[in-house]
Amino acid sequence: MNATKTANYRLNKTILLLLDNIVLIILLLLILALTLMTDKFMTTVNWLNILKAVALKGVIAFGMTMVIICAQIDLSIGSVVAIAGVIAAWFAKTLPELWGISVDLAAVIGIIAALLFSIVVGCFHAYSHVKFGMPAFIITLATQLFLFGLAGIICGGYPIAGKMPAWFNNLGFGRIGIIPIPAIVLLIIFFLTWFIMDLTSMGRSIYAVGGNSEAARLSGINVMKTQMFCFALTAVLSTLSGFMVSGQVMQASFTFGKGWETDVISSVVIGGTSMTGGIGKITGTMLGVIFIGVISNGMTLLNVSVYMQYVIRGFLLFGAVLISIFLPRMKQKLTY
Amino acid sequence: MKLDVKNIVKVYPGTRALDDVSMSMESGKVYALIGKNGSGKSTLVKLLAGVIQPTSGEIFIDGKPLVCKTPGDAHKEGIVTVYQEMSLIPGLTVAENIFLNRMPKRGKIIDWPEAYRQSKEFLRTMGVNIDPRRQVQDLSMWQKQIVEITKAMIYSPKILLLDEPTSALAVNEVQNLLEFVRSLKERNIIVVYITHKLQELRQVADEVAVLRDGKFIGQVPMDEIDDKGIVNMMFGEVKIRERPKDIIPQDEVVMKVRKLTRKKAFQNVSFDLKKGEVLGIAGMLGSGRTELLRSIFGADGFSSGTIEIYGKSVTNFSPEKLVSHRVGLTPEERKTEGLILIHSIKDNLCYASIKQNQIAHFLENKRKRDQISAKQVTDLEIRIPGINHPCSSLSGGNQQKVVVGNWLNTKPMIMLYDEPSRGIDVNAKQQIFEIMWNSAREGISSIFVSTELEELLEVCHRLLIMYRGEIIGEVDPARCSIEELYECCMSGEISPAIALQEAA
Repeated sequence: MNATKTANYRLNKTILLLLDNIVLIILLLLILALTLMTDKFMTTVNWLNILKAVALKGVIAFGMTMVIICAQIDLSIGSVVAIAGVIAAWFAKTLPELWGISVDLAAVIGIIAALLFSIVVGCFHAYSHVKFGMPAFIITLATQLFLFGLAGIICGGYPIAGKMPAWFNNLGFGRIGIIPIPAIVLLIIFFLTWFIMDLTSMGRSIYAVGGNSEAARLSGINVMKTQMFCFALTAVLSTLSGFMVSGQVMQASFTFGKGWETDVISSVVIGGTSMTGGIGKITGTMLGVIFIGVISNGMTLLNVSVYMQYVIRGFLLFGAVLISIFLPRMKQKLTY
Repeated sequence: MKLDVKNIVKVYPGTRALDDVSMSMESGKVYALIGKNGSGKSTLVKLLAGVIQPTSGEIFIDGKPLVCKTPGDAHKEGIVTVYQEMSLIPGLTVAENIFLNRMPKRGKIIDWPEAYRQSKEFLRTMGVNIDPRRQVQDLSMWQKQIVEITKAMIYSPKILLLDEPTSALAVNEVQNLLEFVRSLKERNIIVVYITHKLQELRQVADEVAVLRDGKFIGQVPMDEIDDKGIVNMMFGEVKIRERPKDIIPQDEVVMKVRKLTRKKAFQNVSFDLKKGEVLGIAGMLGSGRTELLRSIFGADGFSSGTIEIYGKSVTNFSPEKLVSHRVGLTPEERKTEGLILIHSIKDNLCYASIKQNQIAHFLENKRKRDQISAKQVTDLEIRIPGINHPCSSLSGGNQQKVVVGNWLNTKPMIMLYDEPSRGIDVNAKQQIFEIMWNSAREGISSIFVSTELEELLEVCHRLLIMYRGEIIGEVDPARCSIEELYECCMSGEISPAIALQEAA
């Protein structure tokens, strides 16, 4: 009797451990399968490609994780990506003509202007949410439209091309050693956001505000400041991503980043962050980002059509949320 | 009709929630089922309602064994339950709520005049006068509770289970509800009234059945037992403690509130709080007590007036600001305002002190968090499965201690307690009071707001009486009986006999 009990307990513990790391396990199985199915997959070059491919959206996903843990959502990221490149390019194009300064200096001014602008956008999101009680879904949907239009107006409906200094290209295309710069940026942002969420009081406040904003407020936590931090950081990261996109193709267009919020939110959710707030991990998002990267890379290597890829990703997202809903219940059953 | 419960046992892994419970009830009577939190009352109710099945034992109606596999079965057998949590939909009318899902129809279309007529008629036969066209959210709490019971009565039940129907009501509302419950007796049904409030029993019940730790202690007619006897049955032998005599407020005034006014909530509130004092605020529901505390804490704004804390006048009120003045508030709604239920006990014990647990103003001091959370668990005797378990896994009393511990970790100078004893058992209550007294010994001042007047008398040095948003005077709890206190909260007049004499 006792022996079976102990055996049961051990079994339960193992199952719990497996359930806790379900995404990681599926990812590893997927990697194993792809390695066996195609010899192009498990190569350094391919992995660097995957990292580079996921970096642009992945950088934003870490910010989005913080926003979602804060029980908010940011749908404006795509438009922020677009306007970031457009602002930088517009400055690089216009200032030399206007003041006769060098293109390099103009581009730097443009980059700084875009970063400042994104901070304002992020703060505006949090301010309107806390001050007027508007849902972030609507506020950021509105800024998505607004910024998309604004970017279109600034660049006059056509991409601004060939006006950026040559070094700008490195942001999206450069390498340090063999590692692409976007992949390095991705890792830096991963460590930075992990540091914030796991080691600082700001991280703790973000979890608190997302878990129950009223209880957090009554504990003396500044809800507005906390949400501003998350939204502003997400906007800044989107801007960074915007520079990398424009750097890759050496032009800036208002259509860049369109629809990115789907992939970004997907990777956050696949990473186990709860849409109701208060629960989630930066490391989970890293897994989610790599997961999506591996899937699209693997399917492309296997010649699966783009449309089929979308179908599979839809299933994946649905499955991830389903798991996240059933996981706590299964855990509860196993603990008792 | 007779309902017999015979040798019921309900075992959950790790606990015997019900241990050999036998009861006997007949129609036309109200049976009070009483016991402290965790005694098994709710388990017994769920069993009767068919929500859970007994591990062993049987239930009989008129000698016939009753098997209810689902709540639907219980419903068919005429057993209807009104739970603690309100199941009414606030945005719908009384009539819609009563006829939810069964609205009278003409063809496929809802027959509104008929719905209103029928519900009005039904409410009238129940002896209440509530307009069925009103939205439920506009009703007062006791009216909502009555609508809830009325909704249950429409099934013409044989057995009506009421699970703590007065827990959300104010003193004056309780009377109305109790009268209503008594009137149900005439309908020749069995009413099982679950409560943990002693004072209600005598007004409503014919017999009382007591559970303690899952065991059935006894079933006695009300007129054969006094309150002390029931308390003994509930708790075994527990001494109800009095305020220790060694806690004496010092002369130093730590908080000066002057002419504080918030429109439609309170006007011209002025008082002083002394160092090491436990100051009570008594008043009926809606007298502005909670609103006052929240405004002082900066949780809600106010229109005029001033507050000085330790000689410094406070500006730009917000909870964040008040925390920096070393003031803490345990809010009225523990689960929605006081705790982050999905987060761990450790996290919840460290939220208010988040800024004090920092290294270099931005890094979290993990070791300090471990220390101070473990300290509160020991000091406050919080019973936890583990410090990293979510707060939702704790009982009400232990949750309340976490809320208090969260604030004690900020090393507060002034604590504001809003209904700290709501929904927790008598032992936990006593422990909360002990915490207040111990803090007072350390020089922490407290303001204590409670609906339970006897608690205020027991715990506080001084009582402010709040009536319709104004403080009408001070009462000396040592010279005041509960009846006198109740009277002055109701009438808004303080008799000179109990008023606190000005120390000239």
